[in-house]
Amino acid sequence: MFKSPWVCSRCLIRTCRSGSRRTTRFHSSQSSTSSKAIYPALLTRARKIAAEYKTVSEQLLDDYDVNSAKKTGELAPVANALKRWEDANESRRELRALLDDPTTDSELRVLAAEDLDTSTQQLNEASQSLTKSLVPKNPSDDLPCLIEIRPGAGGGEATLFAEDLLGMYRAYCSERGLRTKILNLESVDSGGISEAILEVESPGAYGTLRCEAGVHRVQRVPATETKGRTHTSSAAVMVLPSFPSSQPDESLRIDVNDPNSDFFIDPKEVRLDVMRASGAGGQHVNKTESAVRLTHIPTSTVVAIQESRSQIANREKAWQVLRSRLAQVRKEAREEEMLKLRRSVVGVARIGRGDKIRTYNWGQQRITDHRSGMTVHGIEGILAGGANLEKLMVSVREWMVEREVEDMIVAAESA
Amino acid sequence: MPRLPRSLVAKAWRQDPLLPLLLRPCRDLGSARCELRWLKEHAAKVIKTASNKTHKSVLHQLCKQRARGKPLQYLIGSEYFGPIEIACRPGVLIPRPETAASVTYLIEQFCHKKSADLTENLKVLDLCSGTGCISLLFAHLFPFDQTKVSDLQVVGVDISKTALSLANLNRQKLMDLEPTTTSTSARRAEVEFILGDLRSDDSSRTGYSDLMEFLRLEGPVWDIIISNPPYISPKAFNTDTTRSVRNFEPRLALVPQISQQGLSDEEHGDVFYPQLLEIAEHVSSKILLMEVADMAQAERIAKVAKSWSKWDGVEIWCDEPAFDGHQKCSEVVEGVQVRGRGDGRSVFCWRGDAKIWLGK
Repeated sequence: MFKSPWVCSRCLIRTCRSGSRRTTRFHSSQSSTSSKAIYPALLTRARKIAAEYKTVSEQLLDDYDVNSAKKTGELAPVANALKRWEDANESRRELRALLDDPTTDSELRVLAAEDLDTSTQQLNEASQSLTKSLVPKNPSDDLPCLIEIRPGAGGGEATLFAEDLLGMYRAYCSERGLRTKILNLESVDSGGISEAILEVESPGAYGTLRCEAGVHRVQRVPATETKGRTHTSSAAVMVLPSFPSSQPDESLRIDVNDPNSDFFIDPKEVRLDVMRASGAGGQHVNKTESAVRLTHIPTSTVVAIQESRSQIANREKAWQVLRSRLAQVRKEAREEEMLKLRRSVVGVARIGRGDKIRTYNWGQQRITDHRSGMTVHGIEGILAGGANLEKLMVSVREWMVEREVEDMIVAAESA
Repeated sequence: MPRLPRSLVAKAWRQDPLLPLLLRPCRDLGSARCELRWLKEHAAKVIKTASNKTHKSVLHQLCKQRARGKPLQYLIGSEYFGPIEIACRPGVLIPRPETAASVTYLIEQFCHKKSADLTENLKVLDLCSGTGCISLLFAHLFPFDQTKVSDLQVVGVDISKTALSLANLNRQKLMDLEPTTTSTSARRAEVEFILGDLRSDDSSRTGYSDLMEFLRLEGPVWDIIISNPPYISPKAFNTDTTRSVRNFEPRLALVPQISQQGLSDEEHGDVFYPQLLEIAEHVSSKILLMEVADMAQAERIAKVAKSWSKWDGVEIWCDEPAFDGHQKCSEVVEGVQVRGRGDGRSVFCWRGDAKIWLGK
């Protein structure tokens, strides 16, 4: 007779398989920057920058100049990282030489072997930080930004979700002391919003918030649903660097009149319409409409602002929004080229604007970012701009740096 | 006025119970929503100073007044005229954006290379000044750094004491806002407002001779005259003006008050213009800018100005004079150029030295 009780075969199989659970992620592109060695092309570039840093800082000793001081500040991280890398490389080479030398006595050899491990690790760290320091700083990172939120697929539910997102970003900004202002808000009769433009006026806001751009997906039982079914809807968030009309800090100023700048717009290409009903004017009527509409004719981009009672103020705001939108289009066109280059070499699809970047699942109280692959819990906290949102954003920013490193390596190789 | 559809009123009510009130003067949801937002902002300001009222009661009061047609500018107490904010009070005409466009365009004419030849002491008259908006905007926008004008004197003349005190208040407010204009070396703009009567047709009025005496003593030459006189004929006042203008803005600033009989409706509306041309003769002005009601009146006034044959050029400026599309001067009416697009808004006359200043 059998001594042990009967066990179902499925369970038996499962006990054997307990160690082999799926660990790979299939649904998003988790970071894979584990390249230990530094690319020779990048190394030469780092050396060039370090040499430049040396000459500029020597010049700075002779006579002080704001621009060169700023430049040394930009170059210093690269030079420092390169120095650390070279130190680590040097010590490792010495240890290798010691180990390879047959005359080394055995006690020393043991010590050297121990040190070799730590110095190899140091070298890896140093080369990673060197690679990251070489990523060029985005010039718009220091700028304030505009957040545009529009509902996507999902009808009324999407407009409600867009409103939730607007609330989330306002809460996030107020919690972190970033000044915000609503530039335009178009509400829908049934609740929710059809368009919102939020200006975050604090400098550096673009660097913090640019990881938020993309399609946000929501999975929940909408307020409008009567049968309790879960719907999936989406809202698009655009984050644009904003060109402030009066920038107190001289170093942040971008010359809008420079034709090479992304922010440059030929005034001849813009049609200004002051929205005014037809009929008698002048003393006969007393209208309060101050709406202004700008149309960029070559791209047919339209911006309409009616926030302030002053037409002049509205016009300035409209110009600011138009500049930001066109600059974003130009930047995207450039990045598209870069992406093509990268795809041709790496063959990994980058998650573009068209794909969702984040899912808010009400049922599971879960928010997943599809770029960094991070999942956090607690919808309420996130929508109140809480710490979990910050955690998500930090992970995405790291992911973005890694993507930029990849881009840079591809560019360096193809150059 | 077409009746408001009930569906629209219901829709507005669902968004905010106060919106239907504002729908009465605004007639469309978009501008009603904007006005509600501005009134909310204003109410928030009001309760800061008057703590015994609640935001809700103040806002409700404002909306009710607005529903009766009281202009928003009187409720809030100010209106933007170009880049400057002008205080408004019942009894004084509210500045119109079209006037600001004309004045701004006139100033732009001086931002010209040859405008360096402008006289050092530039004297500007603003006849029928009202809130003083034209005088203050002119002084505010004047390009001192592009001309050699070191002393700009602007004098506003109005018949109403209410308007005069408001104009002085506005001047004071603007001075407080920009103390830099007085400190920038010798270049300064001096703005003052005086009581005066422009009409000479009635011998019982003494204001006119006093004014002429003042202009002779202070001048005797006044280089530029800008004027936004009453220009609405009695018939147009009854038919063309909107309810909020007719019921709440001063008739004195809209329709010329006359004593003589037997004038036709059109002539009644045009009564001020021969007077302005005459004053321009008296003080040997080189530039005269007069606001008019529409293209028909603009053509009549331009014809009169042309017939005086003392002006080198007469132009009609439209609502948006700065607009230059494909053709800069769209049409020519009896040797008079029309600039910009929209309805006829002002008649512009120039002669003598002004030819050089304007770079003609």
